[in-house]
Amino acid sequence: MAEAAKNLLDVDELVVHFPTGRAGQVVHAVNHVSFAIAASQTLGLVGESGSGKSTIGRAITRLIQPTSGHIRFDGLDVAKMTPAAFRPLRRDVQIVFQDPWGALNPRLSVRRLIEEPIALHMGMSASDRRAYADDVAKRVSLSTQLLDRYPAELSGGQLQRVCIARAIATSPRLIVLDEPTSSLDLSVRAEILHLLAELKRDTGVTMLFISHDLSTIKLICDKVMVLYLGSVVERGDTQDVFGNPAHPYTQSLLSAHLSADPRQKMNRHVLKGEIPSAIELPPGCNFAGRCPVALDTCSLQRPPLLPVQGGEHLAACHRISDGGNRLVLAP
Amino acid sequence: MTMVVTSATPSRVERIVNRVIGVSRRSVVASIGVVILSAFALIAIFGPALVGVDPVHPYLDAILAPPSGRFWFGTDGNGMDVFSRVIYGTRFAFGIALPAVAVSLLIGVPIGLVCGYIGGTIDEITMRVMDAVRIFPTIILALAVVAAAGPSLINVVLVIGILDAPVFVRVVRAEVLALRSSTLVESAVAAGNPTWRILFVHLLPNAIQGATAQVAVRAAWAVRISATLAFLGVGIQPPTPEWGAMIRQGAELMSGGQWWVAVFPGCALILLVFGFNLLGDGLQDILDPRRKVSAR
Amino acid sequence: MSLLQVDNLHTHFVTRDRDNQVRTATALNGVSFALADGEVLGLVGETGAGKSLTATSIMGLLRPPARIVEGRISFGGRTLTDMPPDELNALRGNEIAIVVQSPKTSLDPLMRIGDQIVRVIQAHRRMERTEAYQRALKMLAAVGIPDPERRAQALPHELSGGMAQRVLIAMALINEPRLLVADEPTTGLDVTVQAQILDMLRRLVSEMGMASLVITHDLGIVAHYCDRVAVMFAGRIVEIGPTAAVFGNPAHPYTRALIGSAPENFSLAAGRPGRGEPPNLYALPPGCHYVDRCPLADSRCAQMPPLVSVSAGHEALCHKATVTTHG
Repeated sequence: MAEAAKNLLDVDELVVHFPTGRAGQVVHAVNHVSFAIAASQTLGLVGESGSGKSTIGRAITRLIQPTSGHIRFDGLDVAKMTPAAFRPLRRDVQIVFQDPWGALNPRLSVRRLIEEPIALHMGMSASDRRAYADDVAKRVSLSTQLLDRYPAELSGGQLQRVCIARAIATSPRLIVLDEPTSSLDLSVRAEILHLLAELKRDTGVTMLFISHDLSTIKLICDKVMVLYLGSVVERGDTQDVFGNPAHPYTQSLLSAHLSADPRQKMNRHVLKGEIPSAIELPPGCNFAGRCPVALDTCSLQRPPLLPVQGGEHLAACHRISDGGNRLVLAP
Repeated sequence: MTMVVTSATPSRVERIVNRVIGVSRRSVVASIGVVILSAFALIAIFGPALVGVDPVHPYLDAILAPPSGRFWFGTDGNGMDVFSRVIYGTRFAFGIALPAVAVSLLIGVPIGLVCGYIGGTIDEITMRVMDAVRIFPTIILALAVVAAAGPSLINVVLVIGILDAPVFVRVVRAEVLALRSSTLVESAVAAGNPTWRILFVHLLPNAIQGATAQVAVRAAWAVRISATLAFLGVGIQPPTPEWGAMIRQGAELMSGGQWWVAVFPGCALILLVFGFNLLGDGLQDILDPRRKVSAR
Repeated sequence: MSLLQVDNLHTHFVTRDRDNQVRTATALNGVSFALADGEVLGLVGETGAGKSLTATSIMGLLRPPARIVEGRISFGGRTLTDMPPDELNALRGNEIAIVVQSPKTSLDPLMRIGDQIVRVIQAHRRMERTEAYQRALKMLAAVGIPDPERRAQALPHELSGGMAQRVLIAMALINEPRLLVADEPTTGLDVTVQAQILDMLRRLVSEMGMASLVITHDLGIVAHYCDRVAVMFAGRIVEIGPTAAVFGNPAHPYTRALIGSAPENFSLAAGRPGRGEPPNLYALPPGCHYVDRCPLADSRCAQMPPLVSVSAGHEALCHKATVTTHG
C-alpha cells in the first residue's frame, strides 16, 4: 500500500512455513501478509492462537527465517540477510517478550542485563556505560537499588521493566512487543501500558504491538491488523476497525470480549468449532468453516483484502459487497 | 530433625553453626558426603605430616605383622606400615580423581555446548564419536594406552579424563537442547549477542547443573578406575603407596590369613567412593529446581 | 444452612532458610465466606492473593510446607478440616470436584480420555464398565465435544487446549457434584473458545443445580458469570457481595484500584497509576495488609480493619467503607 510518508517498516507478501518432519507437510504459519508501519506509529497485531501474530513479530526481528517475501526496514530488505549481517541492525530493531521471567538470564545482575545491549552496540567506556544504564533504568521507573539485584528477586512488573529497559537502551527506531502484558497482573499491566505510552510520546519510537487482548490494543495502537490462520482479515485505523468491524471474525472476536462491567449486557456471537489446523489450509477463505454468513463461493475463492468504504479500512470478505457480512449478535 | 540453635542475639559462632545446619538440611545425603570427603581431604593434606612413619620404609623385623599397638593396620609383605601407606595413599586418590575430572570437564563441556546449540551434522558426527568412546571397554583402552605410553601419573589422569568426557558432553548437550529454543536465548540473540557470548555467558551458567552433579559421581569412578589399573599391574607401581596396588598385593595374601594388607586400603577406597557418590546424589537433589525444603 | 462454610481460615507455609531460621509465609489470614446451594461465587485477586490456595485448602490438597494453622471448613454440615483422609477422598471427585487451569498436565498422558472418565466414575460408584463408558460418552457430548465415540479413544496430547479443558470439565461433572471449584478454568484459551466453554459451564452448572466457586484474575468473567464476588488481597477477603453491588459501588480501595486497572476503564491521558508491588507474605503489615499501597491510609489502619456492612450482603474490610442506604 503506497503511502505518502515513507514507511519505517514495509512488509510485502511475507510467508513463513515451518516443516513438520513429515515430507511434503508444512505448517502454514504466515501466508502472504503485507502491511506497513509509518514512523512513530503503533500498529496492533490481533489474533488468537494459530493466527501467526507472534511468528510475524519474530520474522521481523529475524529470530526466525522467513520462507519468502520482503521485510524492508527503512528501505533495506532484511528478509534474506544472514544472522551475522543482521546483528548490527539490532541496535535499531528490538523486541520485548511475553515472559519476563524466561527472557532474563537468572545468573546476571539487573545492571549487567541492562548494560548488555549498550556494551554490544554503543562502544562506551565502562563508567559511561554504568551512568547510561542508570539513566535508562530511571526512564523505565526502575529504582537504582534494584540494579544490583538478580532477576529472581524482582516481581513480574519490575522484570518487564528490565526487559523494556534492555529494549530501549540503544534508542531503537522500531520495537516489537509480543504480548508484553499478558503474563502480568491487572494493576501491573496498567503501569506498563502507561510506561509504553510515555515512551511513545517522548521518543516517537515506532511500535508493533502484538496481543490477543482487544481492550489493550484499543488503548495504545493507532492502527490495528486482525489475523486469522496466518492471513490478514481486516486492517485499518483503530477507531474504524473497532467502531465498524467489517469482517465476521473481527465482529465475533470483539463481541466475545467480556467487559469488567456487569451492567453491560453481553452481546455476543459465540463461534462454533475451533481454529482448524494450519497444516492443511482449507481452500478459499480460511474462516469459511466457522463463519455464520459463509456462502458457497467463500469455500472456493480466497477473498482479497479490499477497502471497506474507500480509504484505509480494508477487509477480506466476499460478503461485504452484498452487505451480508453483518453478524446478528444475540444477548 | 529439630535441631535449632537460637538465642536473642546470636554470636558469630552460633550464626555459623546455624548456616551449616541450614545448608545441610537441604540434603542430608549430600551433607554426609561432604563430611566424608572433608575428612579424607584433611587426611590427604595433614595426614602424612602427622603420621611420621615413612610409608616405604621396610621393617624387616616385622614382615606381615598383624595389627598391633606398634602398627595400627599391620605391615605388608615388604614390612611396610599399612596405616602409613593408607594415609599417604589418600593423596594419590585425590591426585588422580580431581585432575581427571577436570580434564573431562574441560573437554566435555565446550563440546556439549557447541553440539547442543549448533546441532546439525557436526552434532550428529560428534555424538556418534562420543558413543563409540563410551561403548569401548574403558579398562582395556586404559590398559592399552598406559602400556604403550608408560605408567606415569599424567598418562593415567589423561586417559581417565578423556574416556569420561562423553558423559559431560551428553549432560550439557541435553540441557542446551532444552534451552536452545527458550525465551532466554531468543532474548540474547535479539539483544545482538554473537554466538560465542550466547554459548558462554548465557547458556553455560544455565546448563551446568547436570554437569555439577556429575562431577562427584565421575570422581568416584576415576578413583575406582585408577585403583583397578594399579590392581591390574598397570598404572602406579609398588612400592608407591597407592590403594589399588596395595589391594593387589594383599589379595594374594588373603588366603594365607593376612587379611589386613588388602582390607584396610579396600575400606578406604570404598569409603571415599561412597563419599563422592553421596555428594553427587545429594547435589542432584539440591539442584533440582522443583525442591522445597520444609521445616519439620 | 450454607453448602460450604469457611470460617477464619489461616494457611501458612513454614520453611527453614539457609541460615536455619524458620520463615513463615502467611498466605491466608482469616478467610471467611459461605456458599449456598446453586450459587456461583467468584474469587478474584492478583498473584499471591491466596485464591488458589483457598481452593486447595478446601479440597484438603495441601502438602508440606503448607498447613492450615487455624480455622474451620465445613461442607454440607460436615467438618472438612478434621476429616480423615479416606473420607476426604470419598468426597473429592464425587461431591466436590475441581477443574484446574492447565488441562494437558492434569490428564494422564498414557490413558485414553474415555477411560479416564470411567476411572473417575468407578472410583466413587459401583458400575459396570460398559454402563460407565456410556455415561462418559454422554458427558463428552454434553460438554460440547463433537463425535464423542471417536474422541473418547484419543490420548490427551491429541487434543487441543479447548478440547482438553472440556474433558477436564466432563471428569469433574460426571459424578454430579454438589460443589464445583473452577480454578482459572479458561486462562490460556483463545477468547472465542473461552466464550464457548464459559457458556457451556454456566448452562451445566445451572441444570445440575450445583454451587460453584470460580477462581480467576479476569474481572470480565466474574462480572458476567458470577452471582457474588469475593475480592482477595494478601490472604484476606477485602470485599464480598453481589456482583452488581461490588462492581457498581466498590467500597474497598483495593477493589476500586482493581476495577480501575481494567484496560477499558482507564485512559492513558490520565496520570500514572500508583505503584503496585505485590505484598511480602513473610512480613505483612499488622492491621490492614493494604496499608502500603492505599491512597486513603491513615493511622487507624495499623489495627485490624473492621468488616463493614455496606449494604445487603455487601461487606468490605476497611474502616473507611461507608454504608449505603440504597443498595
